[in-house]
Amino acid sequence: MSGNIAVNLKPKVIHVRDLTARCYVLRVERLGMSFRAGQSITLGVRRMRVNREYTIYSGEQDNFFDVLIRDIQDGIVSPALRRCAPGEELECAGPYGSFVIEKPEDTSRRHLFVATGTGIAPFHAMARTHPNLNYRLLHGVRLLEERYDMADYANYVACVTGEQVGDFRGRVTDYLKQHPTDPQTICYLCGNGKMLSEAYDILRGQGVPSDQLHVEAFF
Amino acid sequence: MRVAISYPPIVNDLGQVAMVSQNRNVQYFVAPTYLLPVVHAQAATWLRDLGHEIYWDDGNAQGKSFDQWHRDLLAWKPQMVILESTTPVMKFYWRLIERLKKEMPDCILVLTGYHSMRRPDETMKECPVDIVLRSNHVDFVLRELVPFIAGHPNWRTSCKVDGLEIRESADRWRSTGTFKQVQPLDLSPDVDRDLVQWKSYAYENGNYLRTPGTYATSVIRDCTFGKCIFCRYNGPDLTFSTRSIEKSLDEYERLIEQYGVREIFDDSGVWYRGQQARQFCEGIIKRGLHKRGCYFGINTRFAYLDEETIRLMGEANFRFVLLGLEACDDATLEHLNKGYHVEDVRENLEWFTKYGMHPHLTVMVGYYWQTQEQLDKSVATVRELMFKGLARTLQVTLCTPLDFTPYHMECIEKGVLLTNDYNDFDMSKLIVKTPIPHERYYEAIRQMYGVAFHPKFILRQLAFLASGHARDWEFLFSYGWRALRRVRQHVFNLTKARELTPPK
Repeated sequence: MSGNIAVNLKPKVIHVRDLTARCYVLRVERLGMSFRAGQSITLGVRRMRVNREYTIYSGEQDNFFDVLIRDIQDGIVSPALRRCAPGEELECAGPYGSFVIEKPEDTSRRHLFVATGTGIAPFHAMARTHPNLNYRLLHGVRLLEERYDMADYANYVACVTGEQVGDFRGRVTDYLKQHPTDPQTICYLCGNGKMLSEAYDILRGQGVPSDQLHVEAFF
Repeated sequence: MRVAISYPPIVNDLGQVAMVSQNRNVQYFVAPTYLLPVVHAQAATWLRDLGHEIYWDDGNAQGKSFDQWHRDLLAWKPQMVILESTTPVMKFYWRLIERLKKEMPDCILVLTGYHSMRRPDETMKECPVDIVLRSNHVDFVLRELVPFIAGHPNWRTSCKVDGLEIRESADRWRSTGTFKQVQPLDLSPDVDRDLVQWKSYAYENGNYLRTPGTYATSVIRDCTFGKCIFCRYNGPDLTFSTRSIEKSLDEYERLIEQYGVREIFDDSGVWYRGQQARQFCEGIIKRGLHKRGCYFGINTRFAYLDEETIRLMGEANFRFVLLGLEACDDATLEHLNKGYHVEDVRENLEWFTKYGMHPHLTVMVGYYWQTQEQLDKSVATVRELMFKGLARTLQVTLCTPLDFTPYHMECIEKGVLLTNDYNDFDMSKLIVKTPIPHERYYEAIRQMYGVAFHPKFILRQLAFLASGHARDWEFLFSYGWRALRRVRQHVFNLTKARELTPPK
């Protein structure tokens, strides 16, 4: 368990930063809430009476919360949050979850992060919080523009499927097959169900014990 | 292999039967409520599809006495028996396993359930069980485990299927690591209704307005939210997964057309939300299933479904909506990690009732921190919601720490547990230290259940008849007496059941 106690807050929006037509970063006041990189919060527009869970994108030391949000076509909450003006008050609760780095101070432990799309959010928080972390991040995207804030990572590999460019042409699962993982590696997977299933099987097949595989379903 | 999936009748000295299975808080009831254990039913179907012989053995739902159940099981001569347990009946299961092992020494005994899943060593020490499943994805684990055992006589030392504790010898066992549910849920088959004798569960279920009713193969395994600290669907070992909408719609259509089902309940921890929920409703409407005389029901959360989605649910003939209203003060909701505010409740309920649904509230009292003021808020809010018709039915229970949920662990860490005897964890009495006398919580429950007999509530139900909805007439005249019977049962449990002796 995380060790953090959940609280309900009403933070104000600081700004919305558009990344692509379908994706943006929402920055809100943190109001002193403690959390661990990899955890999530719920966010909703006030009086809308509906909220959603979003993984925190910012680092533990930042005095604000960033969340990376995919603007769901015909969605209810994600378009409403994107329309929020600075100063608008939101409903927020959290932090939640146990998808966190167990021993971030141990730089000898190798980590492999595997994400698709906005499933990269927990790894952004982890990389920002633990700059000395020994990791490689595989990010599956369709287009190059979806390599959100790639400059923020020390060891980032974009696996691109929709364009003939990028660090690796193909899916993250293709990359994993072609670049076998050392069984000592601690692996974290976050993304769509199909990727999770395939990547999990590949890594198990390469000898990574199930106890070293951490999975966060993304939806 | 010959595999029995078995639920023995567990009867206490008052003649009450324990309701065990699938994230249920065990309670003892005389009036039966038979709930299909969906995941085990999927496991049975899957194993049968793989060529194994299956004995679906729910002694409760099949109306057997313990002795009859026991005789029948031994006579069937299983090679493997799969049992499911939870904290309040762990001691019963340990003794049962001892007995079965003596009677069928070559039979492989497998224990599933959240308690042993989170403390497999304890069960290995307490009884001669062969395997403890360390996963609640029983179907996915068994479909690998059973074929492996069938093909490998040395399975005790060679089996590497994830998510198991395997006994190698009397005093030695090993773990095969954690099991992560990452495979597509669509791989697990729809429940074979005939295999699990679906009609055993079709009538005696207090939540059905129309019968025969049934539980759908759940669209979501575990819970989309998965953070409430008192719930078993919470922990790093659980990864929620979803079934495809079309596959579920196909099942609904089959249940209505082939089996004549008139109410379908999806017991997923929390049902679809947002776009998926709307697509499901649109699918129901497109297939015309909303006009076939069948109601649909779900579990959901406050602050999860928006008004447009709820409107579509109403159009698609959804009726029963189960919502956890675990407290009516924000401090408790925060502590429980509920992820919504008290102020969300009223408006959400207004949407459900506006579009013709019958919200059912599951209320809890007796948290180790709950003050008289917080308790009074729960009673006042629940009574008001019921009087205003914003909720139609309710269930009030004592929050009981069990199965090593975060709440259970917190109670242990804070030293507030009053007993370590698992038999006491059956929700018939408070087992934690509280800031006010226990009797106050029992009284609060009686006050909330007392709503059912209050003139304001009865008048409200009569007023609903003016809406012209068949479901309102059915609610009053066919469902009402069953609801009252359940109220009497709950109140009885709070007066007599505190003196229960442990189950035999």
